[in-house]
Amino acid sequence: MEASLSQPIDGKPRTLVEKANHALGMNTKDARISRTYLFVAFAALMLGGLFGLLQVLERGGVLEVPLGLNYYQVLTAHGVLMVVVFSAFFTIGYFYAGLSHTLGGLLPKVRKMAWIGFGMKIFGFILAVIPILTNDASVMYTFYPPMAASPSFYIGLVFIVLGVWMLAFGAFINVAHWRKANRGKHVPILAFFGTGVFILLFFASLPVAVEVLTLIPWSLGWIDTINVMVSRTLFWAFGHTLVNIWYLTAVSAWYVIVPKIIGGRRFSDTLTRVVIIALVIMNITGGFHHQIIDPGISESVKFMHVFMSLAIGFPSLMTAYAMFSVFERTARRKGGKGLVGWYKKMPWGDVRFLAPMIAMIAFIPAGAGGIVQSTNQLNQVVHNTLWITGHFHLTLGMTVTMTFFGVSYWLIPYVSKRVLTPAINKLGVIQTILWTVGMSTMAISMHTVGLFGAPRRTSFTTYGDNATAAGWDPYLTLIVIGGSLLVVAGIMQLYAMFHLMFRAPKGEMEFPIAEAEEGESTPYWTERWGVWIVLMLVVVAMAYVIPLTEFIFNAPPGSPPFRTW
Amino acid sequence: MKQSVYGLLLLMALSIPPVANLMESIMIVHMHMQMPLLVVAGFFMARYLQLRFPHFFESWNNNGVPGMILFTIVVSYWMIPRTMDEAITIQSVEIFKFFSLAILAGVPLRDSWKKLGQIGRNIMISLFATLFFVMGWVYVNSPEQLCNNYRLVEQITLGWGFFTTAICMVIYLIYISIVDRSAYE
Repeated sequence: MEASLSQPIDGKPRTLVEKANHALGMNTKDARISRTYLFVAFAALMLGGLFGLLQVLERGGVLEVPLGLNYYQVLTAHGVLMVVVFSAFFTIGYFYAGLSHTLGGLLPKVRKMAWIGFGMKIFGFILAVIPILTNDASVMYTFYPPMAASPSFYIGLVFIVLGVWMLAFGAFINVAHWRKANRGKHVPILAFFGTGVFILLFFASLPVAVEVLTLIPWSLGWIDTINVMVSRTLFWAFGHTLVNIWYLTAVSAWYVIVPKIIGGRRFSDTLTRVVIIALVIMNITGGFHHQIIDPGISESVKFMHVFMSLAIGFPSLMTAYAMFSVFERTARRKGGKGLVGWYKKMPWGDVRFLAPMIAMIAFIPAGAGGIVQSTNQLNQVVHNTLWITGHFHLTLGMTVTMTFFGVSYWLIPYVSKRVLTPAINKLGVIQTILWTVGMSTMAISMHTVGLFGAPRRTSFTTYGDNATAAGWDPYLTLIVIGGSLLVVAGIMQLYAMFHLMFRAPKGEMEFPIAEAEEGESTPYWTERWGVWIVLMLVVVAMAYVIPLTEFIFNAPPGSPPFRTW
Repeated sequence: MKQSVYGLLLLMALSIPPVANLMESIMIVHMHMQMPLLVVAGFFMARYLQLRFPHFFESWNNNGVPGMILFTIVVSYWMIPRTMDEAITIQSVEIFKFFSLAILAGVPLRDSWKKLGQIGRNIMISLFATLFFVMGWVYVNSPEQLCNNYRLVEQITLGWGFFTTAICMVIYLIYISIVDRSAYE
C-alpha cells in the first residue's frame, strides 16, 4: 500500500492515487524522513536548552551545576547539542521536505541515503556524547587542540561528517535527476537554496574531517604532538561556514516563505540566486577572521582576511534590501500608504510571519556586530569576552532559531498531515514574544558586559573580589533572567511542536512557496553549479594557502594533548 | 561602456601606492591577486577599445589565436621571479607591469576568449594548468631564495598557490569532460 502512494519523480502524476498525492502534498515516506529529523532537532533543543540554563545559573553565581556535572562539561554539551544537532537536523529536515515538495518527491535511493545518513549521524552523536557525559570531552564546541577529548568523541564526529556527506550527495542526486527530467528549466528556488546549503555542508566538512583524522591518532597517543595552528585553521574553515549554513537556511525562508505568508511575491529571482551563489563562493574563506588575534600570522595577511570576511556582508545587505522591498511592494498592493505604511498591512498575529520577521529585525544589529568585530582592532578588544557570546546568541539564537521556529509552525503540521490551530498560533505568538524578550535581554547584556571585559568560556568567579569583576554582576544577573525566560519559551515551543506533530487535528497544511514576479526571466548561468564550485575552490585556495603554508613550514613546536578540566 | 569605466576605476584603485604596496608586500598576493586583478581591469576596459577600434581587432585577432599568444607571453613573463623583483625596485618596470597586464594581457584575453571556441579554451586551460604545476614545482622545491624581496617561505607559499590553482583547473576540466551539459540544458 505504502509503495503505491509514492509520487512520480518527474512531477507528472499518472494514477489517481498519484494525482491525489501530488495535489495534497508530500509523499508519506518522504514526510517520515523530515518528521524524524525535526523530532531529533527539537529533542536536542530541549536538552541543550536545559544545559544552557544550568550554564547561565552558574555563570551568574546563582548555583553550581548539579548532578555531578561541571560547567565546562555542560558548556560543551550545550554547544554540541545546539550547533551540531538542533540546527543541523532542522536544516536537513527542512530542506529534504523542500526537495520532496518542489522536485515532486525523493528518489527511492535518495530516501535510503537519507536514512543511512540519519543512522550515521545518530551513531556518531552517541559516540561523541558518551565522553561528554563522563567528563572526558569537556573541550567545548570549538574542539581544537591543545585540549584533547577522548578518542571516542572524535570518532563520533567522523561518523557525523560521513552522515552529512550521505545527505548532501542524496540531495545532489535528486536535483540532478530533476534537471535531467526538466531540461533547460531552472531548479525550483527552494531546491536551489538546498543545493547551495548542501554544497557548503560538504565542502566545509572537508577541512574538519582532515582535522579530526589528525586528532584521533593524537588523542590515542599514537603521535606525540600536533600542529595547533593548522588544527585551528581547519576547524574554523568549517566552524564559521557551519553557522553561515544555518543563516543561509534562514535566508531561504525569508526569500521564499515569508513573501507567500504576507500574500506577496518573491523579490527578483535572479538576485536571489546570485545571493545564494555569492554566499556559497565566499563563505569558507570567512572562517579565518576567528583567528584575527591569534599569534603567528602577519598583520598584512590578517588585513587581507578582513576583506574576505567582510565580503559575506554584501549578500546580506542585498537580502535586507530585497526583503524590505517585498514588504513595501506587498503593502502598497494592499493599499498601504506612506513611507513605512507596510507595517500596518503585515499579518503580525500569524506566528509564521511574526517569528521570522523578528528574526530579520534581530539580524540588523547582529550583522552589524559581525561586521565590526571582524576588524582587527575591535576584535582585539572583544574577542575573548562575552561580547562574542552575545553576538552568536543574537545571530544563531535569535535570527536563525526564530526563523526555524516560524518555519516549524507550518512545516511540522505539513509533514505530520495536521493543521495549525488558532490556539497553537496564539501560543506561538506569545512564545515568540517571550523568546524575543529573553534573548534580547541576554544578548544585550552579554554585548555590554563584554565591552567591560567580562571573559567568555569561564564559570563564575569574582577574581578575588575584584571591583571590576563585581561590576559585571548586574549584567550576569540579567543574563540569568534572559536565560530563564528562554527556557520557558523553549518549553512552550516544544509543547507546540509535540502538539502539532501528534495531537493537532488531521488535515492538509500548505507548503508556502511564493511565486516570482511576473515577466521575470532568470539567466541560465545561475544553474552552472560546477563552475561556481570551481570558483569557490579557487577562492578557498587563495585564502588558505598563505596561512597554512606558513604554519606548516614555519611550524611552532607541536603540542601534546592537554586535559585542562 | 559602463564596464570599461569600472575597469579603469579598478586599475586606478590598484595603482594607489598604499594599495599597491600592501599587495606587493606578500609574494603570493603580488602574483596571484594583484596581477590577475590587473588583467581583470584590462578585461573590462577592453569593451571600450573593441567598440572604438573594431577593425583593428578584426584584422589582427581574427580567430583569437594571436591575442591568446600575446596574453600567454605577457602573463608568463610576469611569472619569472626576476621580473617581480624588478617591478618592486625599478619604477619604470612597475609602470610597465600595470600597463602590460591590463592592456597587453587583459584586452587580448577579452577579445580572444569568445573567438576560441570550446576546444581552444580547453587547450588554453590545460596549458596553464601544466604551466602552473611546473611553476609550483619550481617555487616549492627551489632551495634558494629566488626573489631578493621575498623570503623562502613566501616562495613556497606561492608554489602551493600555483599547485592549488592548477588543481582547480584540472577539476574544471574533469567536470566539463564527464558532465554532459546537453542532458541538463
